[in-house]
Amino acid sequence: MATPERVALVAAGVVTPIGQDLEAFWSALVTGASGISQIERVPVADLRVQRGGEVKKVGRIKDWRGVPDCRATRLLVAAADDLCTQSGLRALPLDPARVAVVVGTALGGVEEGEKALAGDRSRRRLRDALYDGPGARLAGWLGARGPVITVSTACASGATALAVGADLLRSGQADAVVAGGYDALCRFVLRGFDALRSMTRDEVRPFDRRRSGLLLGEAGALALLMRERDVAGPRLGTVLGYGSASDGFHIAAPEPEGRGLERAITAALADAGVSARDIDLVSAHGTATPLNDRIETAALRRALGPRAYQVPVNSIKGNLGHTMGAAAALEAFMCLLAAQRGLIPPTLNLEEPDPECDLDYVPGRARAARPRLMLSTSMGFGGCNGALVLEAA
Amino acid sequence: MPAPAIRALGVLSGQARTAAGSPAPILPLDRPHRPGDRFRRTTRECLLALAAVDAMLEDGNAGGEAIAGERTALLYVTAAAYGASNQEFIERRGGVVHFAYTAPAVVPAEVAIEFGLTGAYGILIGGAPATLRAIEQAARLLDSGRCDRALVLAVEIFEECADLYARHRRLLRGPMVETAACLWLERGEGELHLQSVRGARPARGSARGGERFAAGPLADLRECLDRGAAGPVELSGRWRGEDARLRWSGVRSHARGSAA
Repeated sequence: MATPERVALVAAGVVTPIGQDLEAFWSALVTGASGISQIERVPVADLRVQRGGEVKKVGRIKDWRGVPDCRATRLLVAAADDLCTQSGLRALPLDPARVAVVVGTALGGVEEGEKALAGDRSRRRLRDALYDGPGARLAGWLGARGPVITVSTACASGATALAVGADLLRSGQADAVVAGGYDALCRFVLRGFDALRSMTRDEVRPFDRRRSGLLLGEAGALALLMRERDVAGPRLGTVLGYGSASDGFHIAAPEPEGRGLERAITAALADAGVSARDIDLVSAHGTATPLNDRIETAALRRALGPRAYQVPVNSIKGNLGHTMGAAAALEAFMCLLAAQRGLIPPTLNLEEPDPECDLDYVPGRARAARPRLMLSTSMGFGGCNGALVLEAA
Repeated sequence: MPAPAIRALGVLSGQARTAAGSPAPILPLDRPHRPGDRFRRTTRECLLALAAVDAMLEDGNAGGEAIAGERTALLYVTAAAYGASNQEFIERRGGVVHFAYTAPAVVPAEVAIEFGLTGAYGILIGGAPATLRAIEQAARLLDSGRCDRALVLAVEIFEECADLYARHRRLLRGPMVETAACLWLERGEGELHLQSVRGARPARGSARGGERFAAGPLADLRECLDRGAAGPVELSGRWRGEDARLRWSGVRSHARGSAA
């Protein structure tokens, strides 16, 4: 069987509650900074929980001409602006018809739908309210004329987008792919999670005995993917493998044994052609809900065997909140930066160990280490489980 | 790319339930009944997805056990089916449970729960080109051995958001035809070729058979199969300036079923 085409993650760009470019994002992660604050952009007075990982001002771009006043689109465009700076994308000799865009989202432009239903009759509102609206706008901003794809595997969307982007390159349908994820904080999702009572009034404490729920965040996270043989300069790393699996259990609750996540991890390792023994770092989904962290720990134990106890497992949701469609892409970037910089960011707010969560979750402060192969896991509504295997440059 | 073969295809269409030539702007599908308390609060798009899988199994003369398990991949495509649930939640007609149903991921989740599907999955948002891409992704999953069978599910409903669509009727081509369809694919021996061009001008005139968004290619495929098309099948679709064409030879499976 032929060796699969290797796909490089050349560069990344982000806009997050802890930094509006990749360097600021990384610095905040390793110093244990928190982006959680009182939500100001939308009314929250009627909600039980009023905090989240809000980007206070999308300050990267001064001139928004040509970009609609859609929050989700602007997060994407701001992340793309950082990506262009990091990668020199606009200067690369690429045929626009061979540049694809693949974005993952849990919410798309749903806030535009809220505005349309509130009486805004602007013609573009409905088009932007469809979940593929912001991705189409991003392609327009980039001038990309290749395939434009939106995936929505709930909170695993960012991982799915990176995998679909890699597939486009392997199948020769594009020469460069801008891939990642995004989601914006809006009334719709805040009201929904508030009603589900899955948000905490405390800090987000992944894997801590006192953990009591998640907080939502917003972000845009995009990578430039290219076939490795087409990349002359530096790169962040390689997208080595991906696996997905349905729980087939419940529309909102995860399967109690984590069998779906276990299958996704096993499939990702097989796709990457590596074994559990090769993994050096796990970026966990780690939402800090009582159920998620226990189930994820169990799935990691089974999928990785004894290796689960030998590798660091961190979660960055204490810093950012749960950024939904952007989360898995941000976590993938964190893995590759950890490998590049030789430092693993800590799991923020993890202070009291939970006997049911008995892996090495990197509490306290950043740890010196230089992982070579990394596993990033994601779980989402509808029983969507995804896993990515990444390799250091 | 090696093409998959069709084992079965189930299509439910609003058009079939309305008198031919009806000028209605939206041709709706009924809310299917499904026994059991679990379905008490399930949304219409989820119930239609389940009904489309039922129709596919009937077409393939197969029971649900034939698709259960981790060797079946599920790819779901929609442009707008989540709109109804979103609207209901925004207008506060739904409660806590209803929020979960606003996620597009919940439609394939209901199918996975009901039929015991625990394999690979994907969810694409967009119009007809997204469905052609889902067929191609299914082909890749089958070709790489990551599954033994792949289902491509597409659902589009419009009636609940009729008021919103009415504001944009000039952008739509012909009546909006609610459609739910599910395609069962297995490894085949033909060839599959997807071509996509962006920058196409918006199409003028009515869409053949009405506007079905993502479900259009599967409804067209049903027509091709019903006509007994012998040669390669060509499916096409437009969405947001993308013009995509899928040329597919060897569509027919040797397995039992009316599509075979």
